[in-house]
Amino acid sequence: MYLSLFHASLFANWAIPADYCAVTDHVDAFVKQICEVIVGKNQAVKLAVACLLARGHLLIEDIPGVGKTTLSQALARSLALAFQRIQFTSDLLPADILGNSIFDRDEQRFVFHRGPLFSQVVLIDEVNRATAKTQSALLEAMEEHHISIDGVTHELLEPFFVIATQNPQHQVGTFPLPESQLDRFLMRIELGVPDRASERAMLLGMDRREMLKELKPVISPRTLVEIQDNVRKVHASPALLDYLQDLLDASRQRHSTGLSPRAGLALLHASQAWALMNGRDMVLPEDIQAVGIPVMAHRLGHDIEQPGKSGRTLADNLLHSVPVP
Amino acid sequence: MSRSTSRSNRDRRIPRRPLLWLAAALLFTLPPMFASLATWVPCLFLLALALKFWMEPRGYRLRFAALKLVLAAVALFAIFASYGSLHGVEQGVSLLVVLMSLKILEAHTAREFQVMVMIGWVLCLCGFFLSQDFAIALCLLIGFALLLVALVQFHRGSSPGAFWPPLGTTGKLLAQAAPLAALLFVLFPRINSSFGFQIRDLRSASLGFSDRLSPGSITSLTDSSTVAFRAEFPDDRTRPRGPMYWRGIVMWHCEGMEWRAPYAPVAISPGSLKPSAPGPHTAGELGRALPAESTSGRAIRQRINIAPHDARWMFALDRPFEVPPRAMLARGNYLWSAQPIRKARRYEVTSSPQVTERELEPLDRREALDVPASISPAVRELAQSWSAQNSNPRAIVNSALQFFRAQGFRYSLSPGEYGKNDLEAFLFHRRVGFCEHYAASFATLMRLAGVPARVVVGYLGGEYNDLGGFVLVRQSDAHAWCEVWLADSGWTRVDPTTVVAPGRASLDLDSFLARNAATGELNTRQNAFVAQLFRSAIFTNVRLAWETLSYEWDTRLLGFDADVQEVFLDSIGIANRGPFFLVVEIVIVAVALLLAYTGWMQLRTRSRRDRARGLYDRFCRKIARLGVRRDPWEGPSDFSRRAAQSLPDEAERIREISNIYIALRYAPESTTILLDRFAKDVSAFPSHSR
Repeated sequence: MYLSLFHASLFANWAIPADYCAVTDHVDAFVKQICEVIVGKNQAVKLAVACLLARGHLLIEDIPGVGKTTLSQALARSLALAFQRIQFTSDLLPADILGNSIFDRDEQRFVFHRGPLFSQVVLIDEVNRATAKTQSALLEAMEEHHISIDGVTHELLEPFFVIATQNPQHQVGTFPLPESQLDRFLMRIELGVPDRASERAMLLGMDRREMLKELKPVISPRTLVEIQDNVRKVHASPALLDYLQDLLDASRQRHSTGLSPRAGLALLHASQAWALMNGRDMVLPEDIQAVGIPVMAHRLGHDIEQPGKSGRTLADNLLHSVPVP
Repeated sequence: MSRSTSRSNRDRRIPRRPLLWLAAALLFTLPPMFASLATWVPCLFLLALALKFWMEPRGYRLRFAALKLVLAAVALFAIFASYGSLHGVEQGVSLLVVLMSLKILEAHTAREFQVMVMIGWVLCLCGFFLSQDFAIALCLLIGFALLLVALVQFHRGSSPGAFWPPLGTTGKLLAQAAPLAALLFVLFPRINSSFGFQIRDLRSASLGFSDRLSPGSITSLTDSSTVAFRAEFPDDRTRPRGPMYWRGIVMWHCEGMEWRAPYAPVAISPGSLKPSAPGPHTAGELGRALPAESTSGRAIRQRINIAPHDARWMFALDRPFEVPPRAMLARGNYLWSAQPIRKARRYEVTSSPQVTERELEPLDRREALDVPASISPAVRELAQSWSAQNSNPRAIVNSALQFFRAQGFRYSLSPGEYGKNDLEAFLFHRRVGFCEHYAASFATLMRLAGVPARVVVGYLGGEYNDLGGFVLVRQSDAHAWCEVWLADSGWTRVDPTTVVAPGRASLDLDSFLARNAATGELNTRQNAFVAQLFRSAIFTNVRLAWETLSYEWDTRLLGFDADVQEVFLDSIGIANRGPFFLVVEIVIVAVALLLAYTGWMQLRTRSRRDRARGLYDRFCRKIARLGVRRDPWEGPSDFSRRAAQSLPDEAERIREISNIYIALRYAPESTTILLDRFAKDVSAFPSHSR
């Protein structure tokens, strides 16, 4: 009896509480549905979902045609949230996405017409095709979840989730996102070309557009908010926070632009989401390592002292040199 | 509602195991009761305990209030009947024991079990009222601890569980309490006689010699092994050389074979004493009867721990000249306490064998020559024949000793009955006696011959304990000897017994008797086998060790009274400035202790995390020896997976240990149990040695 009591106490730390079971079930179903559309990209899909659960915005960067837009649409449609898609172009103006006031003849006053950003899941295609002016119009909405225009502040509906896609910066006709804008994105993920088998499956399978139309929402908005709340409750022990801070310190010592405090928060929230998706109520160093590159790479990629190295390499070096305390 | 009823129903019966512990504990509170209460009281207690074990499984118990009241009244009456009053320590304790017996029969709920445990603790305390003996204290301590075990076992619930955990918990509790107990022992104010009753050792009160030396009064003591007192010599490593004459009382009043001490001794001042010049004429019979010790005349300091005897005499080596506090030096050069000694007392005294009064006052001389008129003419004639031969007192003493030596006197513990006027029969017909007979008759003869003489009663010898460095003197060491006044050397000790039984003075009585028994001179008092056993080396060693412990208990713990405490507190800088300051000091100490404890607990929480880390590093080193090295940046879960893959034999253990580590380090809360388990697992890894 003594022993069994002991085991109970031992595994109390491991046992996933009932609501956690429900959470992982929902999340699993969600991930599975998206993976049916985006074949062979499980890791990227999971990261994208983690980003969503951590209340962050997602940046997908890759060459055209690997399924960036498809992934975004699959995410949006599986969530039963209001969805808008904005195609960024070089001549797009802030008013085109935020909305503008137009004089109403009948009522003899200006009436505000909401732009496409007034939504819950906003897919911004080719975000680096627009000029810096338009890109900056996103800042307030992404960070503070409200839009101020003509002296009036309009609250956005919760949850609010921006998925942006961009082409690699060396392509013609792109305006690189400023650092402040990049920092607003919790993660930047890359999809890459699928492996041979996955590609074959895709070639043989149904038309992706048809599949997207048939997607059913698997998570209600209320459930999503609950899950997002749970993510913040995942326990980060002092030992883990030590590790996280070691990482931040190391980045600041090695690079001219180290990780910001916001990046530290991003890392913590993303790893909490990752832990929850793996059915744990505590964050392990492995969780930080799993989300480390997508969270850190785009923030470290502007090191003027090491121009040859991509953010990805820098983040990877960081994770492979800071010891787990 | 129904739940609560079923719960209270379950509470009806006290589980068997706590009850067993409680019974065992209560048995240990019994010994002091048997020694001092009316026998039926502890017997009733035992009976109640036995009955309880019969009644409990059957659900019987004492139910009716009227019956309980009647029983309590009967008990009260029985106590009154057996003691004759209801006022006193024994009566009070008896009442408590009897009521506890009734409580045992009545108790059936959890609350009552706890009440029984509490009363058990009170009984332990009462045991100390009855006796403060070391053995009893040990018994009560065991009882005390067992009560705690019973309570711990009781709170573990009805499931039996393992046997040892309650004992372990109890041990831990007692260990935690020990420093506090020690602190309280040192600091707590001692209460001096403000109780309405005296706490005393009842057994020794009736023993010991009296202020009257009659034939047979000391013989009756020779069977008693009760401790009279213990003495150590702070200035010396060992016992003083030569026989140790412990001076008790001096008897002046002669009634033939019977001698008596003055009822109220007169004090003398230590200044009136002088070291006597060793006389030049110590040759001959007197020289042999004089103790060899008197040749080394230096002062000996003694620290004496006396057992309570309810009278006022105190003992010291022959002869004391420095008086301890709360005592005086009485005429006749012996110690006399200011108050009857009702509890163990410790005092220091300095003696020197050559100290005596400077001169004999005429009044004293008259008293020291006074003899009753009832002395028979034959005896008078004998004494006067010696003085007619030679008027020198030394020659008279020698003649008397020669008489005892030559006329076939025998030393015996069972000399038969003598009356106080049987001096003639003793001297001329029966000629068999014990030290008191020789001392009394010799002193009477001296007085008849015109030499001032008196009888000293005390103890001779005692057992020296090498281990503890003290002399243990028992009642059986009681002895009587004489002192005669010689003009040149003052009062001089003459022990006529040594003439009759040479060697008695240099040995304690038991050894002396044993030696004589071997030569067939005396009948053995004891069964030969038992005697042999008692003298065997191992038994002697155990006995000496036990006596040493007991001595330490008496001197260090019981002897730590208000005076010693004050001296001690002064020496560590806590002067006695009244109760207010003491309370303030205690509060300060308590707060300091509390702070220290909090700090220690915090340190421990921190070190717990560090300990987990240290153990994990050890675990990683062990795996590295098996061929899998952990990268510094590798998390525990990844490493466990990798190591388990490479070491399939140990995979299970590796996963288990890693999981515990993860729980310890990253989980919301971890327990000490988990850490202990982790430590055990890590040290047991790998499961089989390669």
